[in-house]
Amino acid sequence: MSARRRTVGISLVAAALLLGGCGTVSDDEVRKVATTFAATHDADTRCALLAPATVATLTEQESSTCPDAIGKVRLGSGRPVAVQVWGEEAQVKLTDDTLFLTRTPHGWRVMAAGCRFRSEQRPYDCQLEGS
Amino acid sequence: MASGSGRLRGLKENELSLVFGGLFLATLLGQAFSGLAEFNAQRLTDGLAQVSLLRYVTSSSFAVDVMENWQSEYLQFFLYIFATVWLIQRGSSESKEAGDSGPESDRAQRVGRFAQEDSPAWVHAGGWRATVFSRSLGLVMAGFFLLTWSASSVAGWAAFNGDQLRNLQDPVSWPGYLLEADFWNRSLQNWQSEMLAVGSMAIFAVYLRQRGSPESKPVGAPHDATAATG
Repeated sequence: MSARRRTVGISLVAAALLLGGCGTVSDDEVRKVATTFAATHDADTRCALLAPATVATLTEQESSTCPDAIGKVRLGSGRPVAVQVWGEEAQVKLTDDTLFLTRTPHGWRVMAAGCRFRSEQRPYDCQLEGS
Repeated sequence: MASGSGRLRGLKENELSLVFGGLFLATLLGQAFSGLAEFNAQRLTDGLAQVSLLRYVTSSSFAVDVMENWQSEYLQFFLYIFATVWLIQRGSSESKEAGDSGPESDRAQRVGRFAQEDSPAWVHAGGWRATVFSRSLGLVMAGFFLLTWSASSVAGWAAFNGDQLRNLQDPVSWPGYLLEADFWNRSLQNWQSEMLAVGSMAIFAVYLRQRGSPESKPVGAPHDATAATG
C-alpha cells in the first residue's frame, strides 16, 4: 500500500473516531446534568441547572424567585434510562419523568421537565418549560 | 520565464473550472454566514443560546442545507447525460440529430478498431475497461448523486431530530425519517428546479442564441438545425 493511501486511510479512521468520540462525550455530559437535576432536592441546585429562558418563564408565571417557584412544580427524581443528543438539544428519559436539555455557553441545561407524552404529533405536556 | 509562461498557459486552459471553483467556494462561504444568521435568529426566538460559526458549519443543519442541493445537481447531470443518449429535441444544440438516438457506432465513438493513437488508455485496453470508461461520466454522476442523497438523508435526519427536541417531541429513527414529509419536501423541491432548468435549456436553445458560447447554436443557424454549437 502506498504512503499516500495509508495517510488517507488513517485520516478517515481518525475522523470517524473523533466524531464518534464527540458524540459519546456529549451523552455523558447530558446524563450527568440530568442525573444531578433529578437526584437533588436542593432548589438552588435545580435552578442553577435550568436554561435561562426556563428560569425566566418560571419566575414570571409564579411571580417569585426560582428557588421558591420550583418547589411548587411536580418533577421526577428517577434515574436516567435513555439519553438522546441531537446537535444543540437532548432528551433524557428518567424512570419517572422526561427532561429536555439544551446546550448553553455554560454547558447543558434543562429546558423542560415534568414532561408527559401525549401523542407523536403533539409536544410533550411539561410542567416546567421555557416560552 | 519558461515555467512562468507554462503556468499562465495552464491557468488559461483551465479558467472555466477555476472560475466556477472559485464561485463555488465564495457562495458556500456566503451560505455559511447567511445560514448562521437564520439559525441563530430562530434560536433567539425560541429563547435558546446562539452558536458560533464553527459550531454551525459542523452542524447537521448546515450539512443538510448543502447536501440537499448537491444531490439534486448530480441527479440533474446524471439524468441529462443518460437522457440525451436516447431522447431528441429537434432544433436544440443540446440534442443529437434525429436518427442518432442510442449509444452510436464504434466508428462514431472512436472505440474498438476505430480508436485513435491519442484515445485514452482504457479505450485501447478494450474489454471491461472500455465498457466502464464509455459510461464513466454517467456512472460517476449517478454515484455522486446516491452518495450525496444518502448524506442528505442522514444530515436531514439529525437536523430534524434537533428540531423535534426543540419542539419538545420525540426524535425519530432513520427509516422513520425517510417517511417524513421533511425528507421528501427537501428532495422534491430541489428536483423540480433541476428538471425545470434542463427542460428550459433544451427548448430555449432551439430559438435563442448566445454568440460565442458552445452551449448555443451559431447565431445565424436556423431554428430547426439540431446538434449545432457556436
